Amino acid sequence: MYEAYALGVLDPAERAALEAHLTGGCQDCAKTIDEARWLVSQLAYMAPEAAPSDMLKGRLMQTVRAEAHAAKRFTPSRSAIPFWMWAGVAALFLFSLYSTWNSQRLEREIQAANQRAAAILQERRELDAQLQLAKRAAIIVTDPASLKIALASQDPQTPALEAKWHSQLGIVLTGQSIPVPSGNRVLQLWLIPKAPGGKPIPSLTFRPDANGKFVLLVANPPELMAATKALAITEEPEGGSAQPSTTPRWVGGVS
Amino acid sequence: MFLAAFIPTTNPEVSLDVTLVNRLLQRDVSAFEQLYDRHSRAIYGLVLRILQQAGTAEEVVQDVFLQLWRNAAQYDSSRGPFVPWLFTLARNRALDTLRLKSERQRRREDQTEELPPVASAPEYEKQLDEKRRAEKVRALMASLNPQHKRAIELAYFEGLSHSEIAASLKEPLGTVKSWIRNGLLRLKEELQAT
Repeated sequence: MYEAYALGVLDPAERAALEAHLTGGCQDCAKTIDEARWLVSQLAYMAPEAAPSDMLKGRLMQTVRAEAHAAKRFTPSRSAIPFWMWAGVAALFLFSLYSTWNSQRLEREIQAANQRAAAILQERRELDAQLQLAKRAAIIVTDPASLKIALASQDPQTPALEAKWHSQLGIVLTGQSIPVPSGNRVLQLWLIPKAPGGKPIPSLTFRPDANGKFVLLVANPPELMAATKALAITEEPEGGSAQPSTTPRWVGGVS
Repeated sequence: MFLAAFIPTTNPEVSLDVTLVNRLLQRDVSAFEQLYDRHSRAIYGLVLRILQQAGTAEEVVQDVFLQLWRNAAQYDSSRGPFVPWLFTLARNRALDTLRLKSERQRRREDQTEELPPVASAPEYEKQLDEKRRAEKVRALMASLNPQHKRAIELAYFEGLSHSEIAASLKEPLGTVKSWIRNGLLRLKEELQAT
């Protein structure tokens, strides 16, 4: 039946019945018919091969070439775009790449310049601050209104220190050839109050440089000059102490 | 069994056909020329056998190859080999022409403009090249009883139905059906036996 259907020999009623069955989606029948079609196609070999005329091939090739040519003419292709346009696109692409690179480079340079400017500004502020302190210290040291305080060392081998106290501008303490405290230890300034039983008031800590030299400015002393009996300096742990933990190495009366 | 499992064909000749058909999709004229050179003799032989007139046969062959050129996308290589599909296309075209020519009623008018479905090839199809298969088919048909062979030829080359063949051969309808069925079964068995 399937081969007869594929061969086309079924009478209309038989063919209609089979096609109605196939419309129902019978997969097995559909596959069997596919194979039957193939088998029937093999009957073509019953016919002996024969050569068509060369004119047939000529006519066909002429038609096919014309259609292929027309198809190419209406299909945008790479070759249809002129060279100058490709060159323009390439130049635009390269310029775009260069612009992006250049813009990123400029951005990086501006960022670096901003960082340098900020660092310079910060350095200048610090220098200004140091200059102000230096000026203040210079005024304290040179102003006749400042009180000179000699701080004698408890060790005869250690040089004395000198302080100048200006009632408005603060205290400047200086020294030279001072032994550097060992390890992380520091020197700390104390203000000894006149009030009986008053405890030493802690002030700034400092370390002399490698040559034993230092200049300490105490812009805002923790006590008034009039209420202070003496200045003392002790050796303390790094960061200073709330109360002296060692015997004062230098002491000088405020009078 | 006839309903064998199908696997993609590896016959180099078949692969070449598929490659060439795929190139037609890119409007490759040289691929078309190769396909024509490979198959035009068989197709022309088939169409000429059906139409029996060289001029008309060439017109149909031209029509078949132009349809291939213009509608190559309709051939689905995953569903079956190319040559049987091309044979079916050529036979349908030739029979349509024959029916028009003889003013016979076309039984399936809707087939005129449509390309045929691609027929799945059974497993044994891959074991024979075209030339050997053609030889086998011809040898088998030559060995058939002349009446049986004639019935199949009337069906295949002239597109007659069972009833028309029975009338033409002046044989009972059941007999003609049996001849055709048995002839096709022998062909199937012969090709399977390869």
